[in-house]
Amino acid sequence: MSDKSERLFEAMSELSDRKIDEGATYSPKRRRHWRRWTALAACLVVVVLGVGAFTGLIPLLRIGANAGGSGTDGSSVFMSYAGPVFPLTLQEANNSIVAQRDITLDFSPWMPRWQSNEEVAAQRTWLTGVERQEVLEQYNEWYPEGGRYRYDSHILVTDEYALTNTAKEDQTLTLLYPFASSLNALGWSRPTLRVGGRELETGLYVGAYSGSFEGTWDGTLFEGEEGGSVNLDYAESWEDYKTLLSDGSYLANALASTPSVSDVKVTVYEFTDPYGPEADEEAGVPNPSIRVGFDLDYGKTTVLSYGFHAGRYDRENGTMIRGFSIPEEGDSRYGQTCYLLVVGEDVENMTVGGYVTGGTDPDTRELEGCGVSVERYESDLDTMLRQILEPAWEERSQESYQQDGRELNVDFEVWYRAFLEHLLSYGVVSYGAAERYSAGMLEELENDVSSVDRVCWVEAEVTIPAGGSVTVSAQMNKEESYDFYCTNSENQGVSGYDLVTALGSNLRCTEQTATLEDRGQVEIIRQNFGFDLENGEKTVMLDPGIEHYYLEVKRLPSSIPEGPPTN
Amino acid sequence: MEDSAIVALYWQRDEGAITASDEKYGGLCRSLSQNILNSLQDAEECVNDTWHRAWVTMPPQRPSSLRAYLARIVRNLSIDRWRTRHSQKRGEGMEALVLELEDCVPAVQSAEAEFEAKEAAAAIDRWLDTLSREDRVAFVRRYWFGERVDALAGQCGCTPKQMAGRLFRLRSGLRRALEREGVNL
Repeated sequence: MSDKSERLFEAMSELSDRKIDEGATYSPKRRRHWRRWTALAACLVVVVLGVGAFTGLIPLLRIGANAGGSGTDGSSVFMSYAGPVFPLTLQEANNSIVAQRDITLDFSPWMPRWQSNEEVAAQRTWLTGVERQEVLEQYNEWYPEGGRYRYDSHILVTDEYALTNTAKEDQTLTLLYPFASSLNALGWSRPTLRVGGRELETGLYVGAYSGSFEGTWDGTLFEGEEGGSVNLDYAESWEDYKTLLSDGSYLANALASTPSVSDVKVTVYEFTDPYGPEADEEAGVPNPSIRVGFDLDYGKTTVLSYGFHAGRYDRENGTMIRGFSIPEEGDSRYGQTCYLLVVGEDVENMTVGGYVTGGTDPDTRELEGCGVSVERYESDLDTMLRQILEPAWEERSQESYQQDGRELNVDFEVWYRAFLEHLLSYGVVSYGAAERYSAGMLEELENDVSSVDRVCWVEAEVTIPAGGSVTVSAQMNKEESYDFYCTNSENQGVSGYDLVTALGSNLRCTEQTATLEDRGQVEIIRQNFGFDLENGEKTVMLDPGIEHYYLEVKRLPSSIPEGPPTN
Repeated sequence: MEDSAIVALYWQRDEGAITASDEKYGGLCRSLSQNILNSLQDAEECVNDTWHRAWVTMPPQRPSSLRAYLARIVRNLSIDRWRTRHSQKRGEGMEALVLELEDCVPAVQSAEAEFEAKEAAAAIDRWLDTLSREDRVAFVRRYWFGERVDALAGQCGCTPKQMAGRLFRLRSGLRRALEREGVNL
């Protein structure tokens, strides 16, 4: 090392403010972003993006996994990242409240337990007796030993806070406990808050999608054009959550009220009772379809659709074709009403006709004997979205119960708020809409709203007497982070769990500890907690200067018994 | 709090200025100092010294960018402290950064006197202006803020190896630029 290079390093202190500021603040392209939809709602646009990405809508598996331990602090960057355990925060910062945090990572779900085939069948309470018997017979065939060992890969987290009120008067606090989850998984991942063993009634706040979007080829082995926004690009490290939560705006947005879209006027085209001849491959009618064509100015009109699944978009000539296949009796779409919601200037010269397939090529053959009732009327976006989405939501709720006996985990209003947020942030009515939603199909947004990851908060109130303490605990299931098996990465079979010590929290913690209840199930592959299983060190103090703690483990092969239990 | 309001607190001799500085820029200063010193404790002391230095220099200073002003102070203090501890802590923090910068030292020997730090910085500044924004930020984050290569890679969506390659090309580019400008360090 020469004096010259040292002088160069020192001389760089004199770089201009602009360079230093830019270096400190600019976020390169990988930055996760969420869009503040409360602002976006005010500037709803009617621009439809060029549509050329229909074929790229299937999310691609991330193939190029990072090697184990390749994260910034020695942790792994997993292909599927569950998000960290976050600390409790208060709705209003309060300097007179101090906390001691004790977090327990309990691997009891990892413990193998014998599940008999009878048990499996009996759990299907929503089935008839005959159906349950069929399930039992099927399982007896699959598991002739009478059952199998089951074990999970999530852990139980108990995040406990001894909150002390140092003020001279009693204080009532609104607690907010954050957790990463999709809306679909809420029933499983939603934490339970307790005070002294008593479960608190909690409210729920739902944050925006916590990831971003990427192009068709990003994150794959294939070389190709970078950029684009056809695929979901989930948060993949705790630092992505840091970007999300650091400045408090994400939480503030989650706490904000639902934006109103009732002042957005729409022209509605409602399509009911489509009919046509039955499909007949041999007669050259493989898929009888209704096609709707019209003229529009793409700069002044945006079209949202429901029930349509074919389309052709010609911006240059100002035309659009939308279509759907005519459902036959017994089809799940049979009886469904289809909609085109026109935002902005109305479309013109609408034609409706039957075709032999859903193709939109000019040479697709017309089909006689097809038809559909079309009604045009004026409404507003809020009324129409509720009219379309609420029955669909209820139907899905019912299906979910029939399929696995579980109710949906959010009520319609919470779900609808999340939907609006996604629509206004990334849908065709937003500036810089994601290519993923560029076809304007409400169904695409509908699916993603339920399945994308986000940060949510459960809310509860507690009163702490002057000079006194109250212990609040949050208990929840925490999913593992992992690499997909098929990719043969170095992290095959490794499960990661992590926590952050202060991110997004205004609570002053005097001390933080972590306890590992390994239950004899795991070996530690990587960690920065300082647990030492061999020497029985399972409780450690956490350093508040370290923002992120991680634990990566593998199942001990000896932890699964070879045969069924003897008793 | 707005930077101008924090600077105003310094000028009013209000100690809240230090609290506000710590709240807003404490994290940045701590990580910068730690990147150079590789020691939490030393970094904490440097950051405390930074607030003191800011307190005694404002007034008369009224920086246009408080972030850059405080970051520059903590960087210089950290370099000074690194020098005093250098004999005990080899191969870590700033040493690794300085070693990488060997690639940037111009090979030509100028007849002129050694450049002043400010002039050398101005030459680097001009060279940085010729880069794409992402390259410029990557270089500044690595060699000004001491950010780890793998952290930079994570931010830019590339592998650490790719980032190391990019930094190598940037260092070579800087060396050529300094040679062209006749900078003799």
